[in-house]
Amino acid sequence: MSTHLIAFFTLREALRRRVVLAAALLTLGYLVLYGVGVWFGYRDLQETQGGPPGLTEGVVSLMLVGGLWSLNFIASVLAVFLSVGALSGEVDQGTLHAIAARPVRRSEIVLGKFVGFTLMLAVFIGVSASLMILIVAVITGEIVGGSWAGPFLMLLASMLLIGLALAGSSRLSPLPNGVIVFTLYATALIGGVIEQIGDVLESAVMFNIGVFSSVLVPTRAMWDMASAQLATGGFVGELSAGPFGASNPPSGWMLLIAFLHLALTLGFALRAFQRRDF
Amino acid sequence: MSQPAAIHLSGVSKRYGRTLAVDDVSLSVAHGEVFGFLGPNGAGKSTIVKMVLGLTYPTAGEIEVLGQPVGSLAARAEVGYLPETFRFHDWLTASELLHFHARLARVPANARTERVPDLLELVGLKDRANDRISTFSKGMMQRVGLAQALVGEPRLVILDEPTSALDPIGRRDVRDRIRELGERGVTVFLNSHLLSEVEQVCDRVAIIDHGSIVAEGKLDELLNAQEIELRAGEGAEAAARKILGKGGVRKVNGRLRVRVANDDETARLIRRMVEAGVPVYDVRQIGDSLEDLFVRVAERGDV
Repeated sequence: MSTHLIAFFTLREALRRRVVLAAALLTLGYLVLYGVGVWFGYRDLQETQGGPPGLTEGVVSLMLVGGLWSLNFIASVLAVFLSVGALSGEVDQGTLHAIAARPVRRSEIVLGKFVGFTLMLAVFIGVSASLMILIVAVITGEIVGGSWAGPFLMLLASMLLIGLALAGSSRLSPLPNGVIVFTLYATALIGGVIEQIGDVLESAVMFNIGVFSSVLVPTRAMWDMASAQLATGGFVGELSAGPFGASNPPSGWMLLIAFLHLALTLGFALRAFQRRDF
Repeated sequence: MSQPAAIHLSGVSKRYGRTLAVDDVSLSVAHGEVFGFLGPNGAGKSTIVKMVLGLTYPTAGEIEVLGQPVGSLAARAEVGYLPETFRFHDWLTASELLHFHARLARVPANARTERVPDLLELVGLKDRANDRISTFSKGMMQRVGLAQALVGEPRLVILDEPTSALDPIGRRDVRDRIRELGERGVTVFLNSHLLSEVEQVCDRVAIIDHGSIVAEGKLDELLNAQEIELRAGEGAEAAARKILGKGGVRKVNGRLRVRVANDDETARLIRRMVEAGVPVYDVRQIGDSLEDLFVRVAERGDV
């Protein structure tokens, strides 16, 4: 089996490419800005007298969820940019010819790339989310962030996008594939907002459109589940409605749908790439 | 039992949409042979190479490589390939590229550490071993590509236009490498549009044009051969193929064109066709057609 060779090769390539370096530097800059924001926000919060019990913890938690939402967004963009040309782009450039002529199965190339990109995103999310939780903890003295399930669900959202981009990349060249994957990602994002509005207005149609978009591309649903895991404090649910989170986190079924989605996109990528002419 | 051919194609065609890129090609390359595949750009050479490597699937026909069905991992482990594009992941250094390909080719770790520097020296890139490929010239990329093709100590080496980016000295080096491979008993399949290149290193050649093989054999014999055009009755094409063996028979504008070595062969062909019950109405010699063909399909090159 050569899957691990391709996976480590993919990881090494991602680490050496400028896109990851750029994302890392931007994220670092963002974390600095975020730290400054949390510092002033927390100072103002301490000057506020009264308020319901648990206010401080709730607001700190909300600041963290908002920050992690941005990291989740960067991770999603990174996932798409890394994988959108991984198969077709390399076939068109000719860089995959010599590798695919080796005693390597096509499935090992697809799975190796998937594993490589996933490892890359795991490192990115793991490091940046840990730094963010650390920043909040150092400034406020509050250790928030809930369980490990939160970052894992963020990673799962990125994995869904990698699967989708690889499926597209087995047939489409990078540009149209990128347009399609980003459109689907945006559909899920907007679908989530429509679902929330539908919930407030008690519009079944709007709610169902939102649910449908989440089944189509469960990335947004994964974030909603993640934010529910990350947020601590009783009233955060109501406060975090809006782009950062759902008032009603999706049920456990969504997790099953996400894994099914991943199996389907990867299955398609494997099958289509197997049949592809170089 | 005789050894199976290193490469065997039978009735292979490839269709892209409405374009027939490769049309019913049958070909055998023996073990240890240095075989030249000559034709103009766009004739279907690279498509055939990619089908032999299992990178592209034939629309029809059968392909065997080193006695195994095409695409089998066991056969691929013993094949080295230099793609026409010779584009590699340019964020790697030359040494890293060779190590990676050696691992993919299942070369054991201790053999890798010895072989990689040796190969880089062989292609004249010893001093650039730890430089990234992105800093290489096209010629250097082609040379590192040749080293990559040899890193698994293959029994069969497939080189697709291996000198396209090289200067005359680089071309001579590659020809020397090919000769060395041939002397060591490695089968070489050389795709080229340069007649001189093929002429200097190959035991046998096939000439391809518009997706079909138009001639096959030893190059000097091909150059001295004549072509005749026949107007004959039903079953003429099959009879001619049977009498001459498979190569050198084609249909042009409904007439049969047959390549023969000399006048004796022409006489023998017609006698045998008549004996086989195929009436022959008209025979005429086509002047210098093969030479025209060479001019058309192959460039002399500046080597």
